[in-house]
Amino acid sequence: MTISFNINGQPTSLDVDGDTPLLWVVRDMLDLKGTKFGCGKAACGACTLHVDGKAIRSCSYAVKYAEGKNITTIEGLSNGDQLHPVQQAWMEEIVPQCGYCQPGFMMATAALLSEIPNPTDEDINNNIVNVCRCATYYRMRKAIHRAADIQSQNAKNQPS
Amino acid sequence: MSTPKPKKKFSRRKFIVRSTVGVGVAIGATYFTRPLWRRSIAGFVNSAELPYNGSTDEPRLWFEVTADNEVILNSPKVEMGQGTFTGLAQIAADELEVDIQQIKVIHAPTASGNIDGTSTGGSTSISSLWQPLRELAATMREMLKIEASKQLGTDAAALTVKNGVVAHNGQTLTYGEIVKNVTEWEIPETPPLKDVSTYKFVGKPVPRVDLKDKVIGAPMFGMDASLPDMLYGAVVRSERIGATFVGADTSSAEKMPGVVKVVKEPDFVGVVATSQMAAEQAKQAIKAEWATERNWQSEDIEAMIKVGQGDPVTIQKTGRAKRILDNEEEVITAEFTSPIGAHAQMEPNGAVAHVENDNATIIMSTQVVNLTRKEVADRLGLAPEDVNIIPTYLGGGFGRRLHTPNAVQAAVLSKAVGKPVKCFFNRREEFQNDTFRPPTHHVLRGVLDKQGKIKAIEHNLSSGDVMFGSPMFPGIAEPVLGADVGAWRGGMIQYEAIPNFRTVSWRVKLPFATSWWRSLGLLANTFAIESFMDELALKAGKDPVQFRLEHIQEDEAGHRLREVIKAAADKAGWKDEVVNGRAMGFAASTDARTPCAQVAEVSIENGEIKVHKVTCAIDPGIAVNPDQVRAQCEGSIIMGQSAAMYERMFVKDGQLLPTIYGPYRMALMRDAPKEIDVVILENADAPGAVGEPPLGPIGAAIANAVFRLTGERLRSLPLTIA
Amino acid sequence: MKKAHRAYLAFSLLLGLLVFGFSTPRSHPPEPKLPERNKSTAAELTPEQAFDLMMEVLTHKRCVNCHPSDDYPRQGEDSHIHNFGVQRGPDNHGVAALQCQTCHQSENNNHAGVPGAPEWSLAPRKMAWQGLTRVEIARSMLNPDNNGGRTLEETVHHLTEHELVLWAWEPGVDANGTPREKPPVPKAEYIKAVKTWAAGGAPIPEE
Repeated sequence: MTISFNINGQPTSLDVDGDTPLLWVVRDMLDLKGTKFGCGKAACGACTLHVDGKAIRSCSYAVKYAEGKNITTIEGLSNGDQLHPVQQAWMEEIVPQCGYCQPGFMMATAALLSEIPNPTDEDINNNIVNVCRCATYYRMRKAIHRAADIQSQNAKNQPS
Repeated sequence: MSTPKPKKKFSRRKFIVRSTVGVGVAIGATYFTRPLWRRSIAGFVNSAELPYNGSTDEPRLWFEVTADNEVILNSPKVEMGQGTFTGLAQIAADELEVDIQQIKVIHAPTASGNIDGTSTGGSTSISSLWQPLRELAATMREMLKIEASKQLGTDAAALTVKNGVVAHNGQTLTYGEIVKNVTEWEIPETPPLKDVSTYKFVGKPVPRVDLKDKVIGAPMFGMDASLPDMLYGAVVRSERIGATFVGADTSSAEKMPGVVKVVKEPDFVGVVATSQMAAEQAKQAIKAEWATERNWQSEDIEAMIKVGQGDPVTIQKTGRAKRILDNEEEVITAEFTSPIGAHAQMEPNGAVAHVENDNATIIMSTQVVNLTRKEVADRLGLAPEDVNIIPTYLGGGFGRRLHTPNAVQAAVLSKAVGKPVKCFFNRREEFQNDTFRPPTHHVLRGVLDKQGKIKAIEHNLSSGDVMFGSPMFPGIAEPVLGADVGAWRGGMIQYEAIPNFRTVSWRVKLPFATSWWRSLGLLANTFAIESFMDELALKAGKDPVQFRLEHIQEDEAGHRLREVIKAAADKAGWKDEVVNGRAMGFAASTDARTPCAQVAEVSIENGEIKVHKVTCAIDPGIAVNPDQVRAQCEGSIIMGQSAAMYERMFVKDGQLLPTIYGPYRMALMRDAPKEIDVVILENADAPGAVGEPPLGPIGAAIANAVFRLTGERLRSLPLTIA
Repeated sequence: MKKAHRAYLAFSLLLGLLVFGFSTPRSHPPEPKLPERNKSTAAELTPEQAFDLMMEVLTHKRCVNCHPSDDYPRQGEDSHIHNFGVQRGPDNHGVAALQCQTCHQSENNNHAGVPGAPEWSLAPRKMAWQGLTRVEIARSMLNPDNNGGRTLEETVHHLTEHELVLWAWEPGVDANGTPREKPPVPKAEYIKAVKTWAAGGAPIPEE
């Protein structure tokens, strides 16, 4: 079937089996490799991206649901060269180690901050349940709080 | 323009190293099976500095200067999160006299000739390359200066160098400009190295060189690799312990859409298709037949891992611990166990392979480029030089990628279809075909003297294999060593002021693959020994920190251990009392000569153990990058906590379970301590191990805290309170 | 499959169970046998018998797993707390960035073993069934304070037409590819039982 959606702002049309996981479409057909395969069972969160601004685990999301939607992957999280506050915070705290799970975490965090701009530690515990084997959780928590600060600072600086 | 590739040349240094090893092995086979020799070797291995096993006398294998004045560092070590790329860049930049921004670290393909003969593992990358890489970089700098002096018509000694720019009397040449006109390099004697205190990058918390890429989703991991015309493969893997492949009915898979070819080999069956999905679905349609001899259960495995069964080797002996403990009356005895652990690294194993015209190219995540190359070459009947292994960033290593049959399988599939093939494990296969951390059993015995000091202590440990059976490890070493070096890592008594102490390692061969898991035996051995030390301290009526200090010997290792113990206690504000429902637990270990001490602050919330804060003092010697030393401590502490508190594989009806994250419970954000305080001491004049030593103390530190809260001594991992 | 076909299949299955003591292949979860008291066809059921039959379904884990009495969905045949500590959230659809729809879509995903149906979510707290007796569940179900102000007719509609409820008979496979256990009563029998019970005045037995 033909499926059309916007990905990172680009209109895209594909001829694909509608039951194909969105993850494989993004990685293998659109060559956006920042979104990772971890388990294929929606258990680890490495494949997290945004569909209409919401966090979605794309390994378990059939591409047919994406029809007419706006998809954002880690490659589209920044605004051109201007990194997203989550990415800026990740840089400041030097979070990544192996880096494999980090795009999923950053996408989940960006989705969290768009719903809860100033998350408490408990909000972070309840919302961010992805798996990181290097166990960079300590810096991630700091980076999430830092990202919230950067985001609110940006909001203040924006002309209303 | 790039530097011309050097021709292969005979390396004298390599020859010397190799012949020494050869002679050693020959002597070993004859003499070293004697108990005393085995103990000596064990002691030597325990404190040895493992040398780098590769070429270190040809700077052009390591460095390539580009026209825009960038230096490409061809790293034979792989980056799996441990920060090695950053450390190597810092070390090279300081001796090369370039800014760290000018250095770009890449994984050296084996075709480059810069090959690590052993592995990236054992926390040895920075420590083993510290001296050779500085010498290589300094030599490269001098080579550039010599060429510049020719081009500027002056003496090399008169030149000044800064940020990759050579200057003399107002004239300047960048490194990039210099290499453009070089036809033949002159390689000087190794120049004197700079004083460490003058380094601009070494010792500083430089941001990781891969940071920006990893934040924008750019780095290529094995699974991100692709080649033109690439197809997708899948291999049928056994789900049962000890299964051998008999055959397969592939008729329905052959007819499935997207299937290009079903590949039947004597030892496996696989399928190649036009997409990942098609390959995976066709694989599931293949009915493979396996032969199994036994329906293993967890109880069978537990019954095997028992001190007293298998082959014992005394790996440490001072005084007469056994005789004393067999005859004294007030002997304290305790047993401990640890479960089977999975690597559970986030990126599954696999490879992209392209085999054509008697050449093979393999792009993948591997910790053993040289072994991978050999195994692929052997299977395809090629010379190793005809196989090019191109390593990528690793989506976690932790020892899981020290075995790479996945490379061979991808290569076989590619050869069968004459096109590039990408073939990966799915997550279920990854869990069921892991090379697990072996389960362990420990028996500790100790007796105190009238002053409340340890008179004698003994550690008996039983473990599945870690190093034995690995293709990385020469078979001859097994009879020589007798005990598996990996299994007893961290198993020796480190308090050498105790007059009588002894460690015995019992080897058990399990029916499934067990192997290297970050820090090897350290996690379980330290849990057992340091929990026991806590028991002895309480029995002696002494403060556990003071008690440990009383038993440390007066030598360099003792000094370094004493200092980390004191530093951790000081920084944590150590108090052996329960305050507001929280207790502290203390533990320390020495691994690969790096001592580490930790204090865990713990409470019990809703019937579960909650770790609030961990204070960690570590002495790796020179901290090339203090920020990454911290990062490794933080990660190790939480990974160790995860293994100590949650993780466990079990065996049911011949299957290793569970096969997915969640049921294989690991620490998540909510479980990790909110505070981790790391103190770095540098009581040695070279960098030592960092990536594994901090995994040692955490299990015992948590368990010792729990004892103070509940009065219950937890003796089994994962820690569970009644 | 047409509804009539399904009903026919369900009827045959029931007949098979009763007459032949039907045994199922080992690879599938066993189809539980119906209780003795239901040895009659649904058409002949008294409202009391219909209640029993309906409750066989409503107390099954396929239903109760999403009617927890706390803030954690349950999952699996052993009704363990949902992996990763997934939570109810303010509107029963999960928390801000970990919504049910982060993983669950409008259909089962049999590649991943992730179940799905329209409006995948937890029943509201007031509709908690976990740990309740059959009588308590029935009372709660009929209480407008708990059931979102539904009339009996609307409740029957929810119980017999709502896709999320009917998902119980098409529960798909789990992460290991193993089919999830279905409720012990075929769907058509269950629907009929709910309607018979309601038509008979929705009696709740004394227990």
